[in-house]
Amino acid sequence: MGAALFLLVAALTVVAALGVILHPNPVKSALFLVVTLFLLAAVFVLLEAHMIAALQIIVYAGAIMVLFLFVIMLLNLRNDDPERGRRRYVLRGLAWIGGVALAIELALLVRGASVGSAGSAPAGYGGAAAVARSLYTDFLLPFELTSILLLAAVVGAVVLAQKQRRPTLS
Amino acid sequence: MDHVLTWMTFLPLLGAAVVLCLPSRRPGLIKRVALLSTLPTFALGVRLFAAFDRATTAYQYVDRTPWIASYAIDYFVGVDGVSITMVLLTALLCPLCVLASFGIDKGVKGYFALFLMLETGMLGVFVALDFFLFYVFWEVMLLPMYFLIGVWGGPRREYAAIKFFLYTFAGSVLMLVAMLVLYFGAAPHTFAIPELAGRGAVFDPRTQQLLWLALFVAFAIKIPAFPFHTWLPDAHVEAPTAISVILAGVLLKMGTYGLLRINYGILPAATLDLAFWSLAALGTFNIVYGALCALAQTDLKKLVAYSSISHMGYVMLGMAAFTPQGINGAVLQMFNHGTITALLFLLVGVIYDRAHHREIAGFGGLAGVMPVYTGVAALAFFAAMGLPGLSAFISEVLVLLGAWQRHPGLTIVAASAIVLTAGYLLWTLQRVWLGRLDERYAALPDVDARELATLLPLAAIVLALGVYPHAVLDLIGASLGHLNELVRAGAAAGVAPR
Amino acid sequence: MEQLLLPAIDWLAVLPVGLTSILGLVLLALGLFVDDDETLGWITLIGLAVTAVATACLAGQKSITFNGTFALDAYALFFDLLFLVAGIVVVLMSMTYLEGTGIPSGDYYGLLAFAIAGMIVMASATDLIVVFLGLEIMSISVYVLAGAWRTQLRSNEAAMKYFLLGAFATGFLLYGIALVYGATGAFRLDRIATAVGDTPNRTMLIAGVAMLIIAFGFKVAAVPFHMWTPDVYEGAPTTVTALMAVAVKAAGFAAFVRVFLHGFGGLHADWSMLLWVIAALTMTVGNVLALAQRNVKRMLAYSSIAHAGYILVALVASGAAGGTAALFYLLVYSFMTLGAFGVVAALGSVGEPNETLDDYAGIGFRRPLLGVTMTIFMLSLTGIPPLAGFAGKFYVFTAAIREGYYVLAVIGVLNSAISSAYYVRVLIAMYLTPGAEEHGRVARQPYLLTSIVVSAVMTVVVGVFPALWMQLARFGFLSL
Repeated sequence: MGAALFLLVAALTVVAALGVILHPNPVKSALFLVVTLFLLAAVFVLLEAHMIAALQIIVYAGAIMVLFLFVIMLLNLRNDDPERGRRRYVLRGLAWIGGVALAIELALLVRGASVGSAGSAPAGYGGAAAVARSLYTDFLLPFELTSILLLAAVVGAVVLAQKQRRPTLS
Repeated sequence: MDHVLTWMTFLPLLGAAVVLCLPSRRPGLIKRVALLSTLPTFALGVRLFAAFDRATTAYQYVDRTPWIASYAIDYFVGVDGVSITMVLLTALLCPLCVLASFGIDKGVKGYFALFLMLETGMLGVFVALDFFLFYVFWEVMLLPMYFLIGVWGGPRREYAAIKFFLYTFAGSVLMLVAMLVLYFGAAPHTFAIPELAGRGAVFDPRTQQLLWLALFVAFAIKIPAFPFHTWLPDAHVEAPTAISVILAGVLLKMGTYGLLRINYGILPAATLDLAFWSLAALGTFNIVYGALCALAQTDLKKLVAYSSISHMGYVMLGMAAFTPQGINGAVLQMFNHGTITALLFLLVGVIYDRAHHREIAGFGGLAGVMPVYTGVAALAFFAAMGLPGLSAFISEVLVLLGAWQRHPGLTIVAASAIVLTAGYLLWTLQRVWLGRLDERYAALPDVDARELATLLPLAAIVLALGVYPHAVLDLIGASLGHLNELVRAGAAAGVAPR
Repeated sequence: MEQLLLPAIDWLAVLPVGLTSILGLVLLALGLFVDDDETLGWITLIGLAVTAVATACLAGQKSITFNGTFALDAYALFFDLLFLVAGIVVVLMSMTYLEGTGIPSGDYYGLLAFAIAGMIVMASATDLIVVFLGLEIMSISVYVLAGAWRTQLRSNEAAMKYFLLGAFATGFLLYGIALVYGATGAFRLDRIATAVGDTPNRTMLIAGVAMLIIAFGFKVAAVPFHMWTPDVYEGAPTTVTALMAVAVKAAGFAAFVRVFLHGFGGLHADWSMLLWVIAALTMTVGNVLALAQRNVKRMLAYSSIAHAGYILVALVASGAAGGTAALFYLLVYSFMTLGAFGVVAALGSVGEPNETLDDYAGIGFRRPLLGVTMTIFMLSLTGIPPLAGFAGKFYVFTAAIREGYYVLAVIGVLNSAISSAYYVRVLIAMYLTPGAEEHGRVARQPYLLTSIVVSAVMTVVVGVFPALWMQLARFGFLSL
């Protein structure tokens, strides 16, 4: 039953993801992204990672996507394609070649992979306590480093977006 | 005389540093300091000449300290009969060239600093006994030479300088690969040339030949052997006088010196295999081709440049004889060509400074207005022709005698080419110095004291070695005999099993 | 309530990254109050110097901390010092360069410190997650630095391009890590190293390794993942370009070498073939395209691609010789490249980049110091002895020949010969092409000139006495 459910959710995720990149309207594209993120949360649930699933919905589908939509609507993007003419077809061709190569590679991977039975997760697995324990012990360093990363990113965003300082030309 | 070779090599570099610190608004001082920095090396060279043990085949005045220990690279210098001859030639020509460069008035500081760096590089190549060190000095020469031609040269200097740089660099890259392969072939791994002697035998014959050819191309570019010679006329024509002297007098010798030191010493079997085509036949071709090209020149300096190509052919032919006469003659010819061509280029420089052109057709009858100059010129031309009593006669005869025993056919061709040599030289002599005097040049001053000071020492050596060649032959005899035996023994043993 | 058992932490191990992060925070804060660019520059200099001294004092320590994810060893220290010294040189350059550009100093130096912190994390990381985080800290900071000169259109373009393609590369990195985790069940390099031998999912593992090669190949600008390099290097402020060409590349290699020679050492037979091709391509494409450039900054960008190729040769050779050669080459490459970009920065001024070969005409006589130092850098990059570049190439090709990669060595040597053509062109422009007469006084550039001279001196010293530096590199590599 689990496998069938997983395949269904996974297939829907792929469809939604395709919608993100194929839909010409940026707003609808973003909405497809929301769907994708929700479906990913469902995958996490199937993996018994409940905490991550919740975070996925709250952080990504909730906070970040709302921001995305705001920005898209504020910028009032039109659905025009910047790549025109022959170059566009060349790029598309290259993209197709790359994509097909990747797909073949993945197919080989799946064929070669040995799929063991997952077994049942221990009690409390994927809950807030387990995630926290893992975060503050095994992944303490990555956790701390992430704070630096986020700080650098915030500063960077401010630097790029702040009002231009007048050049002090001598 | 501790570290005498090290002192000789690096004193000019020290001089270069001093020159760089002098104020550029005192060109006279810079010139004098530059001259002074070349003299100690010359003096040490003379002492070395007197004290050199002519009986032993071992390397003398050896200086060896570890440099890069993890790769067994040493600072390892020393001289045998062949290299001391070249060191003497370099130490002799450099002061003369500095003197000849006193007329330089553009970027004086840079010129003399680069010249002194060049001297260090050249001496380093001749004294290095570690292949790695040899390579380093080989490359160190490249840059000063490039700038000396490129900045202080004639109208097409840029082209000439780049051509020189690219040819030489391409050659040295091949040398680098061959060097590394030889290094890993030796057990234990080493770059020391004495320890690498004959070690080429660990490779199969085909690899040996490939290595030999890689090294040969690197050196042939310097000689310059046909078809790698095309940089030479350009470089010579564009370079200032003193640099032409160094180029012809010393740099060309590095090609043949490298062949003797590296190819002969390390890869004897391949040397014997390949010598006929790459040295004897190509050398003979060089003789004829150079002479024919010289005949066709209208520019005096280009004529001398092509005569160099022709004369270096004798060196190659003599080397390929593998007889004592042939190989001794070859090295003697290296020295003699160094002095005679230097003299010729200095003479060309003298007339160029006065007339500001070098067209052979534009002169005539100079003998009337410049008698001293004409006297020295006649001596130089006769020497280049190989007239008996002058130095080149001995070396060319030795080369031909030696080569006759092994390559009679080629020797006949090479000997006949002397007619061509006589042809272009006498014809030039007649066109420039004899005949009707052009009105424009009626008031040309004869050579002054400074110019005479650059010409006379060389003329004296040309005369002296014509009468008493043993001054050089004694130096080189033991070492070359040993080398010749080594090549023959290495070849007789065939491919020595590992 | 259960007790959390924190892992044992060796604070000394995180000292370098801690100090640089703190420096970054201090600079950000000071940037709000201190208006004087020069003061901020000095503070950065002092901070980096103190960190460097503290890092040097850690020499000889060896420990692994945070559950085996972060190492303090000679390898990490070697790279830490390299980053810090490169950082110091870049700050010196910036103290002159930033004048009049309108780039906010506090933010600029702060992000620079964060970038270096990220690099240090990459050099010490013994865990793929930590590698990823270090790489991101570095990359995010550098994306912004590349676009810091906001009035310059090409700076904006550079940042955008770098960010988009960088994000793409990050995707590959994560995907690769995921696949490797799937195959081996581990993020930690030591566990991966033991697991690679008997994983049932070999295909998945190889695919993961290939993804990681792509990601690292992007960061070190290896062909065919180099497309961003020329535009970004040309567009970014020259000081940031120097940082990217030297420190970012070195950091990429620091992680590359540790992950591949340590974690995936057992798979050498599998990845060396791929890297062989990439190395050959990188050298050849970099050098050949550099031949066509008239803009010196862009030419140096292609040259930096080519040099990544030489370092990849060392990686292919692998083993003690190859690893040591890679480290040594990075050291050598850093000084000569920093110096070369320094000269580019010194010749430009706000509004007048002066980057084409025509702008270099006659520079050798107008600005003798820049002429001589640029000559040293160009010749060193060509690989002319006795300069450092030659020593570096010598060790790399020696390592390749020792391990039997003759063809690759020959390709490398031929590439060296090709490269001489375009490096020499700079010398031709500087000395042999008559230039315009001096127009106006040259601005005083004390800090910038200091950084150039320091780089030149190091290029000569390392070239003439390579043994000591080689020993450091060997010591560093063998501590892995």
